[in-house]
Amino acid sequence: MKILEANKIHKSYGNKFNKQEVLKGLDIAINQGEFVSIMGASGSGKTTLLNVLSSIDRVSTGSITIEGKEMTGMKEKQLAEFRKHYLGFIFQDYNLLDTLTVKENILLPLSIKKVSKKEANQRFEGIARELGILELQDKYPNEISGGQKQRTSAARAFIHEPSIIFADEPTGALDSKSASDLLNKLSELKRNRKATIIMVTHDPVAASYCDRVIFIKDGQIYTQINKGDEERKNFFKDIMKTQGILGGVQNER
Amino acid sequence: MSVNSLILRNLKKNIKNYYLYVFALAFSSALYFAFVTLQYDPSMDEVSGSVKGGAGIKAASVLLIAIVTVFLVYANNIFIKRRSKEIGLFQLIGMTKNKIFRILTAENFLLYFGSVTIGIFIGFATSKLILMILFKVTSVDDIAKLQFSIEALVQTIIVFAIIYLVIMLMNFIFIKKQSILSLFHVKSSAEGRVKRVSLWEIIIGILGITLIVTGYYVSSKLFSGDFVTMNSLAAAMIFILASVIIGTYLFYRGSVTFVSNLIRKSKGGYLNINEVLSLSSIMFRMKSNSLLLTVITTVSALAIGLLSLSYISYYSAEKSAHDSALTDYYFTNHEDAEVFKTALDDRSILYKEREIEVIQADFDMTDVVEVKTEDSNMTDTSSMVTPVISEQSIEGVNLKEDETLFSGYADIMDQFMSFKAGGDVTLKTKENDLALQFLGTNKESVVPFHFTAGGVPTAIVDDSVFQQLKENYDPEIQIDSMIYIGMDLEDDNDLEKAEELYSSFKFNHHNVSQLDMSKKYKLIYGLTMFIVGFLGLTFLITSGCILYFKQMDEGEEEKGNYTILRKLGFTQFDLLKGIQAKQLFNFGIPLVLGLFHSYFAVQSGWFLFGNELWTPMIMVMCVYTVLYSIFGILSVLYYKKVIKESL
Repeated sequence: MKILEANKIHKSYGNKFNKQEVLKGLDIAINQGEFVSIMGASGSGKTTLLNVLSSIDRVSTGSITIEGKEMTGMKEKQLAEFRKHYLGFIFQDYNLLDTLTVKENILLPLSIKKVSKKEANQRFEGIARELGILELQDKYPNEISGGQKQRTSAARAFIHEPSIIFADEPTGALDSKSASDLLNKLSELKRNRKATIIMVTHDPVAASYCDRVIFIKDGQIYTQINKGDEERKNFFKDIMKTQGILGGVQNER
Repeated sequence: MSVNSLILRNLKKNIKNYYLYVFALAFSSALYFAFVTLQYDPSMDEVSGSVKGGAGIKAASVLLIAIVTVFLVYANNIFIKRRSKEIGLFQLIGMTKNKIFRILTAENFLLYFGSVTIGIFIGFATSKLILMILFKVTSVDDIAKLQFSIEALVQTIIVFAIIYLVIMLMNFIFIKKQSILSLFHVKSSAEGRVKRVSLWEIIIGILGITLIVTGYYVSSKLFSGDFVTMNSLAAAMIFILASVIIGTYLFYRGSVTFVSNLIRKSKGGYLNINEVLSLSSIMFRMKSNSLLLTVITTVSALAIGLLSLSYISYYSAEKSAHDSALTDYYFTNHEDAEVFKTALDDRSILYKEREIEVIQADFDMTDVVEVKTEDSNMTDTSSMVTPVISEQSIEGVNLKEDETLFSGYADIMDQFMSFKAGGDVTLKTKENDLALQFLGTNKESVVPFHFTAGGVPTAIVDDSVFQQLKENYDPEIQIDSMIYIGMDLEDDNDLEKAEELYSSFKFNHHNVSQLDMSKKYKLIYGLTMFIVGFLGLTFLITSGCILYFKQMDEGEEEKGNYTILRKLGFTQFDLLKGIQAKQLFNFGIPLVLGLFHSYFAVQSGWFLFGNELWTPMIMVMCVYTVLYSIFGILSVLYYKKVIKESL
């Protein structure tokens, strides 16, 4: 079942005289329960794509539907409503509120949805235990490590059981051990909770944890590869190879 | 790009941030100029001649300078910190510190003296208005007209130039002290980092609240007779001041954190958006501003308190005049009274007359008076000089030969002594002592203050006793007169005509016109109120601006949080609601605390100033609250912009 569908999305910045086209007619479809990563060089438009898909930015033309709901025409208020029910976010720089404890940060999305306190606590315990941060619940973000922060951020993204989770370079600021920890947890959560994850990354290792990798170049889809039943190691090699071709062409120009 | 165009561009870019600064600066220079103009104005003589108004206004202008200097230095500190990145950048591209300082100086020069010039123009334009307000509150009938005063202009320019130099010096020191690296980081190090609430803070928090409450409690006991000597009264006042001010500081330092932490704990980690934006932010930020907030709270309380008290005095001027004069006019000499009566009769102005003989006599009141004070001149109860009148002078009083009633007992007396409900007193005439039965006191005064030394009760005795006293009084203790002739006009509309007559005569003995007296009171209290009012207003505006600037900084710093929250699906409206709650606390806590402080201060001693507490005090408080809220509202509008731009 397709959970997200984007058709011919264009995005350009600037005015009439000085236009910079970042996305040039992309088509993307994501299935329920898929873990997809978007890769590409700097400036290829991958972050813009993620912003557009996650309703933080607006497309110039084209349409995006999530769970059958057309997003492009929505007003600001409807978009906020939409985000709160259907989307979860994980960011490179964690984006935790410094003044809130780990638990308070994680419970934030529930407070908008007016979930009962008892249920909120149950959900918190579930997700925090899965991510191994239950004992950190009363600590402030500046008292925990980067990996723990990112797991907190992940817990916040999962707690309200959104349809899609967007992750923007979630391993970008982590050391390799914490990064692989986090990616293992994400894959686990994806399996257990049947969550859909779209991740932007330029780290091939991170991408190798996914089911599918979409390569973007100059605002268009260059190619995509599926993991299928392959081992992660082999999939990683495939990704490296594709990236090599992608980068090579770029360098020659 | 040349340095000059750099300066102009910077100015253009920053002017939006500075509009309140410009406003506050223009306002204070306008007010200062207006005050100085008043000082040099010849028409002030009428106000100043009688009550040294010139000195008052001069003192006020000095205070005004102090307030403005502190404000400008503080605001400048906030601004230069905000621009530290820019300064670091200039250094990075190879500009010398001196050159940067020159750029900043030039930029500030334009902004500063631009505002001061605007201020002086406004000051000149409004000084007539201010003078009119002054004449209005002091009931001086004079047409306000002003000339442009060169002296005032020069003085204003010199004062503000000096303040400018001080600010530049601060900037110079700031720039000299910084290295490129630290300039980039200055903003983040300015605010305290998020820390766990420690036991120490809990103690401080509880201590703060306790100190404030103790101070309030003692202040409510201040004039209720527990502190009887001047020394203990002074000690109690110092204790109240110290305990409330230190308490306020600890309150911001710990109590706010402590209380909001308690609320947070009770939520078990499940905070709604209002709590996220208000509680969590205030909890950590109030602490770092505690000194500033303490100063603002204390001075606001002082301003509200003084304003309330002077307004109470002003408001009660007519009543006070009535209390001390009793009738529209009174004379202490038959000839003077006759002259005035004839004049009134000629104009056919109707009046009621009362004539009371008053003799000062020595009483032994050991049996009925309990002295509370230890001040030596009040303690001798066996010999107390008291005015005595006959029962026949007062309607509705009928005493037996051996009875006496004390009338006109002032509340203030309670401070020093109290009367028992009954007992025996001895009236000492020159020849013999008369034993009288004391029937108690009542509050209604029967003779003017002139005879009662401002508050001693008057003894009413049986006519036969009075006649005996008349034969045998002690001339040593008599005041300049033994007769009180009071006149009340039947129709208040005649008051103007009568007053005209009254002022056309020159009387030889003590006499009082109640209208004249209340005018004099109004002049004194009106001037006080005027000065305190404008000083208070300046303080309000400058402190409001400082809080606003702080909030601007906070808004910029928290922008990242708003981005996160909006990404999580909170709407701009949700966030704005949270911000409103936050500002309610940010501006509300200092305001409410200031109001409480001034309430207890006024409550403890207001009766020394007048006889109406609530109306004047509540009016002052409401005006203050409304003006103060404007800054809260402005800051919410600023946040609205920040939130809008955050995604």
